Amino acid sequence: MQPSVARECWKCRGETRGSLACPCCGAVQSVTAGTDLFAVLGLPRSLAIDPTDLEERYHAASRSVHPDRHQTATERERELSLAASAAVNRAYRTLREPVARGWYWLELHDARPEKRGQQVPAALAAEVFAAQEKLEELRAEPGRDGLRAEVAVLRDDLAARLNGLREELVAAYGRWRNDGATVLGELARRLAEIAYLNTLLGDIEETIEGEPRGTDRRH
Amino acid sequence: MGRIVGIDLGTTNSLVAVLETDGPRVLPDPETGERLLPSAVSFGPDGEVIVGRRARVLAAARPLDTILSVKRFMGLGLEHVSAEDHRRYRFAPGKQGALRFAVEGREVTAPEVSACVLRELRRWAEAALGETVTQAVITVPAYFNDSQRQATKDAGRLAGLEVLRLVSEPTAASLAYGLDQGAEGVVAVYDLGGGTFDVSILRLRGGIFEVLATSGDTRLGGDDLDERLAALVLAEVPEQLRDRAEVRAAALDASERAKRALTEAERTEIALDLPAGGKVRRAIVRKDFEALVADLVGRTAGPCRQALRDAGIGLEEIREVVAVGGSTRVPLVRRQMETIFGRPPLVDIDPDEVVARGAGIQAGILAGGRRDMLLLDVVPLSLGIETMGGVFTRLIDRNTTIPASVKETFTTAVDNQTSVDVHVLQGERELAGDNRSLARFKIPIAALPAAVPRVEVTFLIDANGILSVTAADLRTGRERSVEVKPSYGLTEAEIERMLEESIDLAEDDVRQRQLREARVEADMILQATRTSLAGHTPALGPGERQRIAAAVAALETAQASDDYVAIRDAVEALGRETEPFARRIMDRSLTEALAQRRLEDL
Repeated sequence: MQPSVARECWKCRGETRGSLACPCCGAVQSVTAGTDLFAVLGLPRSLAIDPTDLEERYHAASRSVHPDRHQTATERERELSLAASAAVNRAYRTLREPVARGWYWLELHDARPEKRGQQVPAALAAEVFAAQEKLEELRAEPGRDGLRAEVAVLRDDLAARLNGLREELVAAYGRWRNDGATVLGELARRLAEIAYLNTLLGDIEETIEGEPRGTDRRH
Repeated sequence: MGRIVGIDLGTTNSLVAVLETDGPRVLPDPETGERLLPSAVSFGPDGEVIVGRRARVLAAARPLDTILSVKRFMGLGLEHVSAEDHRRYRFAPGKQGALRFAVEGREVTAPEVSACVLRELRRWAEAALGETVTQAVITVPAYFNDSQRQATKDAGRLAGLEVLRLVSEPTAASLAYGLDQGAEGVVAVYDLGGGTFDVSILRLRGGIFEVLATSGDTRLGGDDLDERLAALVLAEVPEQLRDRAEVRAAALDASERAKRALTEAERTEIALDLPAGGKVRRAIVRKDFEALVADLVGRTAGPCRQALRDAGIGLEEIREVVAVGGSTRVPLVRRQMETIFGRPPLVDIDPDEVVARGAGIQAGILAGGRRDMLLLDVVPLSLGIETMGGVFTRLIDRNTTIPASVKETFTTAVDNQTSVDVHVLQGERELAGDNRSLARFKIPIAALPAAVPRVEVTFLIDANGILSVTAADLRTGRERSVEVKPSYGLTEAEIERMLEESIDLAEDDVRQRQLREARVEADMILQATRTSLAGHTPALGPGERQRIAAAVAALETAQASDDYVAIRDAVEALGRETEPFARRIMDRSLTEALAQRRLEDL
């Protein structure tokens, strides 16, 4: 997949220079299905991203394509604005978060494992099994305060560990200079580990607090 | 093109505002100068519809025909109505889809009732601006789902307003706050209105208002506090009167006033007049009131924590907590906010008007008046489809920035299948049946062997948080039309029919009102003429008595007809005949009065 924002503005025939909104007439350009999310925000393909730069690009792109800015335009322009705005939002959401960005990177390189997060990474199996047993016990006897405290400690440890893993991931993004098989394999391994621990953390929180599980646990 | 107005369509009160060069301005009732329109609609005999303060007053006398918190029923079906609401109103039985209130002589849906409120606000705005208003931004609770949003949009359409944008209430409030204070950073908006609770976490930066996460409860608000107090006083009402709708309505009204009083006072009294005569009084101190509603107020903590977690924001990052909605005046609610966020809330923006002001600002943004500001809102609930075994498969996660779209490819399970049914739902639960059904639609497919067709369906949530669905056949590249059947909404045909009816009704309404007013005016002048004639016969000139008597007879004849123009003409004619006489007796009274004064001075 290559960046595929139109080169020539459909409205004024001016050069778009890869911009989502024509630099001459402001008309929103058509974003072709499958346009690389990096290209949507005018970024080179790279795992390493400067968050401040990303946010500035997002805000600038939103200002030019958001439907609020094209309320009085023709129907076609409003449709394009809606589609481009959805693409910009998706690009920002995916690229901003290092884990989501990693998964997207695997997808871009056709290296995404099937059913991610469902196979237990071997190194974690024993640990996760022990944690699940504790949760079972607590679900059976919610009144055991000692056990509840034990699980709460487990939750805090796990949350801290996940933060560490995410930080390491960002650091690795800065180091990795190619997208060869070794890097993709290593990336897939780290993401699977994070996804797995995240699911476990969700289970623990659900058991302790009885609140519905959040939606971001998939990553 | 006329001005775009911003409307806060609230559970208890509604307001309309516009953006002026020096900021948003709330537009008042042209007759009374009031800025809050009670969101009350009363349906009278003869198809007459009364909106606002007068309707709220009528609630005690006509509780079943006066809808007070219609917003609670927007986008719902009959199966979502609580037992308490069944005691409160009558609903038309048995129908699928949107629920219908059975009021005096007719059935009305929630969007139709809301449209009455919107029409009145539109009238206020047109009077204040001196021009026709046809376009509006309307605010909705952030936590409103697709059906509730669609119902709000339909209400606008029924009121003759093109709804250019639906904006979340806390987001609108943040616009007003941001413009006011020029603030940057992370802000939490805690919005406890009459019937709904919302919390939103936003980042304000360089004129961009980005919602990071939102949460809430569409069935929690000030009304619930009133109900707790009402239950207290109703317990002291004789059993045979307790379930009477007008007694309940009066108890709710008295309770609401007591709740307000307890904001300032340490103790107050709920006083209730009974229809059989007699009175029930119940004294209450603030501490007991707080104990009575502590669990309700406590329920706001969960959504706040959820929003903070979803936003990935720690308490230390929050720069300000903004209080929105009349219920945030309750001291216990303020303490709850402080407990949750670890700091006292900002309360110096009028909590009743801040949402309307924000809606006015958004209207200005759409009109191109504020190029520096831009709102990036989110969808409050996850959206997905029902898949094999009744499982809910999420397609768009909650708190995704809108507009948002996702594509999903569908195929067939059996040979020569000509369509695929898709059931769209919204919610956070694992099982499809536990989430709110939004719509079902059918994708037409060319008859081919199983699994050969490939149809790509695009789910698009627009900037209003409303879903639309398009489908394309991947083999032919052709767009396929999708027939969407809303689960609890109005179909296009129903809206068309209501629009036709409301136009007839509106003309009828105007005629009826003119007639009533003309008759009242005639009564007044007839009464005055009779009194004057009886008391001041000596002041009458020659032939004057006959001419006045003829004019009186003509007016009496006109008054019996339905022709308000004829009544008005006859009123004017009588006025002309009595004017010289009236001036003479006025002069005489004045002379008498002055003479009197002089006597007194002596």
